[in-house]
This record gives sequence, structure tokens and C-alpha cells, in this order.
Amino acid sequence: MTSHFSRRGFLATASASAAALALPRFALAADGFVNVYTGSDSNISDFWTNVILPGFKSVSPDARVRVVDAGDGAGLRAMADRAMAALGSDADPQVDLFEAYTPDQTEGSIDAGLWVNFAEAGIENLDKVNPAAKQTDFDLPYRGSQVLLAYDASRVAAEDAPKTWDEMTTWIHSNPGQFIYNRPDKGGSGGNFVRRAIHEANGRDPQKFTLGNYSEDYAAETLPGAWELLNGLAPDLYEGGSYSSGNTQSIQLLAQGVVSMTPVWSDQVLQAIAMGVLPENTGLVQLQDLALCGGFSRITVPTNAANREVALQLAAYVLSADVQSKIITELGGFPGVSWDHVDGTLREKYADVIPASIPTFPGGGWDAAINDGWYRNVAPGLTRG
Amino acid sequence: MTDLASSGTRRTGGTAASNGRGLTGLLLVSAPVALLGWLIIYPIFNAIARTLVVQTETGTAFSVDTYVRFFSDGYALANLWLTLWVTAVCAALLLAICLPLALYLRFAKSRVAGVLQGLALFPMFVPSVILAYALIRTIGPNGGVDLVLNALGLPKINSPYLTPWGPIIGLVWDNIPLTTLMLVAGLGAVSDNAVEAARDAGARPLALLRHIIFPQIGNAMLVVLSFTVLSIFSAFTLPYVLGPASPEMMGPFMQRTFSQVMDTRMAVTQAVISFLICAVFGAFYVRSIAKNREARR
Repeated sequence: MTSHFSRRGFLATASASAAALALPRFALAADGFVNVYTGSDSNISDFWTNVILPGFKSVSPDARVRVVDAGDGAGLRAMADRAMAALGSDADPQVDLFEAYTPDQTEGSIDAGLWVNFAEAGIENLDKVNPAAKQTDFDLPYRGSQVLLAYDASRVAAEDAPKTWDEMTTWIHSNPGQFIYNRPDKGGSGGNFVRRAIHEANGRDPQKFTLGNYSEDYAAETLPGAWELLNGLAPDLYEGGSYSSGNTQSIQLLAQGVVSMTPVWSDQVLQAIAMGVLPENTGLVQLQDLALCGGFSRITVPTNAANREVALQLAAYVLSADVQSKIITELGGFPGVSWDHVDGTLREKYADVIPASIPTFPGGGWDAAINDGWYRNVAPGLTRG
Repeated sequence: MTDLASSGTRRTGGTAASNGRGLTGLLLVSAPVALLGWLIIYPIFNAIARTLVVQTETGTAFSVDTYVRFFSDGYALANLWLTLWVTAVCAALLLAICLPLALYLRFAKSRVAGVLQGLALFPMFVPSVILAYALIRTIGPNGGVDLVLNALGLPKINSPYLTPWGPIIGLVWDNIPLTTLMLVAGLGAVSDNAVEAARDAGARPLALLRHIIFPQIGNAMLVVLSFTVLSIFSAFTLPYVLGPASPEMMGPFMQRTFSQVMDTRMAVTQAVISFLICAVFGAFYVRSIAKNREARR
């Protein structure tokens, strides 16, 4: 019977410690910390915690900054909704800086004056931002990355690595079960692979898709061709049409030797190689007929942030040559500033991989149409109904 | 209800209300009841109302269009069927695994039983996201099991990762502790005397199970069934990480409809439909509790 008593004790301790763990959540508000919210993968939040924040301490010793993981884009959207709701009242939105968020994701937020206009705020280093990356004055592109194809070099020779969409299709069909991409809503690597298929089905012209030109009719005209292309690939994908549930899961399958090729984010794959998750000789290739999409992550700052001044200082610091160079070396990303404003030796070293342009795909209404369309038309597979 | 009221007044020393205990009792339960009303009951009716009442140009109107859309959408129905199927399979597997385990824990007196009980409870303390990644590492493709099989010169397993069996294995593992605990508690009602008497009368193990044990733990099994159905129906993490892209279980489907498709009214409709199905099993549970109470009076 003693086991009963000890179990009860154990349960009591366990629930007590669980309750203690839940406590700090209630103590988050207004404690002088600058709250940086991120919805990105852990490599990005690690970069903020381990690289940016210690560096910022030397610039602004008194500032206390906390990086909060909102989980994903939807988590950030909820935080932006909170800031929007607090706008015009005295309520503290409890968020001072969004690590990667665009104003268009919260409807009407620009007109309502929710976001700091960086051009008007006149923050330092703003003039260094790459003009090609600029979108609005309310967001600050600070890092870019691009989706590439990563392959297991022990099974795929570099000269056999596909360089066009057609070569890739041929490769997938001649190596059944060796390719996987993740569900488009669960991570950008699969998401941008799907978007590349949309480009392929529409004359490889990224200009055809803009933030403003989304309409149900236009989507019905442009997307089905892509579903056809992707359905054509499905039978020869991993397990005859399985899709991993995130960027990291795809990398994991590549690392475990389950598949030989998968789309990956440039920053994530370089870090995986650096950490030994993927072998040193992992091959990387970009399609030359039209690159897989990429994008810039954009800092936004709500106007009603409790620590707005510090948040703006932090944003300016992130654009400094110091951080921007580390985005290349430590994160494997592209700088948000023009390449003239990073360390000269780096500029030379990466001359070959500096992309002339990174094709991007607009968000807005397209996101929902593409993701849900994929789930309905591609995910079930043709044979599996 | 009349039974309950009359049995209350029959207590000795006057009615509960007359000696002031009723008020204290009501005060004690008022906090949880208020919380229940605020955080559970109100949102339920709010959700139902939001799916049924729409704002049109001419004012508010009653509409069931999202329900019609849900039940005429083959994709959504496939998701609902998968969820029901996974729930049924998990419930059956859980009973098949946990009943023998609970019987052993109830009647064994050895030290091994204590160790086994500890092991059976272990999954309760493993967060499901950790479990999901651990399962990818073990029974996933080229995972631990494959490595062992390969070393023994055997063929690899057909990995359940990214098929409906992935979440089923995870959910069953995750629910073993609660199911076992509830069954052991139910078996506590079976007295040793009854079992021994039946044994003395020459009852074989199967007859013992059928005529002595099962009739007494019917209630516990019903509770177990409703609890597992409720928790598996609303599962999110394991189907999200381990399951196939399509069909999706209701948990990931609702989340995606809400945050990706941004069709909140449809997401709430899916939630109401899931809730109604779960409510049926919840009713089983409430009924069995009520019956138990009445039996004890």
C-alpha cells in the first residue's frame, strides 16, 4: 500500500510544480522589459537571444529585452490584434517589437496608425536598407532567406542535381520516394516550393502575382495548373505522396537518409550543416530557370508600444553592419541592408551566392487561397481520393 | 430530481437550509460554478450563436449555411470520419491494453506490480510534443527500430509516420495512464470476498470476469470510454506532427481553418460539431456519475 501514498505525494508535487511553472505567465505585464515577439523557427529566436541581445547590451546597457516565441504567424497575428485593440486606450499591448511581421496581415492597421513609420521616425541606418527589399515605410526588412533544394551528396552527384523545374521533375520521377516537401502552411520551405509550382504553371512570371491583384476568380484561373503539376509529382514523392509537417521535419528526413532531396530555407540548412545535423557534404542547388521564392523578414513596431524608444534603438542596432554581417555568418541568411554595408571580406567571400534578385510571392489573400487550395486539391492525392 | 430533493430533507437535525449549512455549501460551490459559467457555458452558447446568426444588409438573420457547407463538403466530412475512426480505434486499443493491465494491478500483490504501476503512469508526465519527436526517432523511417532490425539482418518496418497510424500509436501511449488509473479505481469496487467466493464455487477465470467483475465495472468502463473519446477527439499535437497531410483530424483542421484560411465562422462551426459529438459521450459520463450517486444514497 505504500506505493499509493508515494504516488499521491508524487502527484501532489508534480501538480504543485506545474502550477509554479504557470505562474510567471501572469507576471509578464509591464515589468520594464522590452518584449520582442517572434513567430520564426528556433534558429531565429536563438540568434536574437544569443547574438543580437548581448550585442545590444553594449550599445544600450540599461535596456532589458525579452524574446517571446509566439509560435507561428497566427500567434503574431493575435498579438497584433491585441495591440490594435489597445490602440487609443491606455492599455499596454505588452509587445514592443515584432521580429517578422508585415502590416498587411492585420486588416486596417496601417490606416489606424498602429505601426511606427520608420521613415518619419528617422531611425539610424535606415538609408542602408536594400531598396529591392523595401515594401512599405512601416516595416523594416532586416534579414532575407531563400528556399533552395538540399540533397544527400552521397546519393546524388552534383552534376545530376536538377537546375531547372523540368530537370527536377525528371529527377523526382526517376527516383521515386526520394523527395518530400512540407505542407505549405506549416513552413516556408514547402510553402515556397508550392509557390514555385504556381510560377511554373503561369509562365514563370512572378510579376503576375501582387498583393493587390488577388481575387477568387483570378486565383481560380491561376492556381489549378499548379495543383495539376503537384499532383503529377505526388505518386513519386515519399510514400507516394506524404508531406512533412514543417521545415525541420523535412531536414530531419534528409538527415536520417529517408529522402535524398528536399526544399529547405537557406539559413536553416546552413545552420543544420554547421551544427552537424546534416553532413558537411550536403549539396545545395538553386533552380536557374526561376529561383524558388524567398523573402525578407520585416521588423514592425506598434506606435502604442510601452517601450517604443528602446524598440526603435533595437531596430536600428539590428541594421548595423555588426548584426547584418552576423546574419550572413551565423544565420546563413541574407542581409536586409545593401551588400555595400556589410563587412568587405564577407562581400567578396559570398560574391557567388549573392542573389541578383530573390523572387517573392505576395501574402494577403493569396496565402489562404494557396494553402487551403493545396489541402483540398493536392494533399488527398489522386489515387487516395 | 424529486428524489434528490426529498432525500435532502430527510436528514436528521432539520433541513440543510434551516441550520445555515445550505448557504455555506452554496457559497463554496459558487466560485467554481461561476467560473464554469463564464469560461465554459457562456463561450459555448456564444459560439453556437455566432454560427447561427449572421449580419446581413437588412439586419441580423438566422442562417445555417456554414453547417450546410460543412456537411456538403466532402473534404470536411472526410476529416470528420477520420477523427471518428481514429477515436474508435484508439478507444478499442486502449481497452484491450489497459483492461488486462488494470486487472493485473488490482489483483497482484507482488513488488513487480508496484513497478509496473509506475511504468504505466510514466506517459502521463511526458508532454505530447516530446513524445511526437521521440516516436519519429524510434518508429519513424530509418529510426531506432529500423536500426536494430537492420543490424539483425531483418527488413525495415513499414513506418506509421505520416499515416493515420502515427497519431493512433502516440494517442494510445499517451492515454494509457489515465485509462489504467480509472479502470483500477473501478476495479476497487470489486471486493476480494466476492472473487474468492466465486473461485471457491469453482468459477474459471473467464466466468469470473464475465459474471463477477464485468457487471461491477460497467460504469467505470463507460467513464473510461467517454474520457478517452473526449481527449482523443480534441487531440492536436500528435495528429499535427505525426499524421498525414490529408485527411486531417478535427483538431488540426479547426486550427488551420481558424488561423490559415481565416474563416472564423467556419472554424467555430467545426468546433460546435465536434462539441456536439463529444457532448453525447459527456452525457454518458454525467449519467453514470448521477447513477452512482443515487446508488450510494
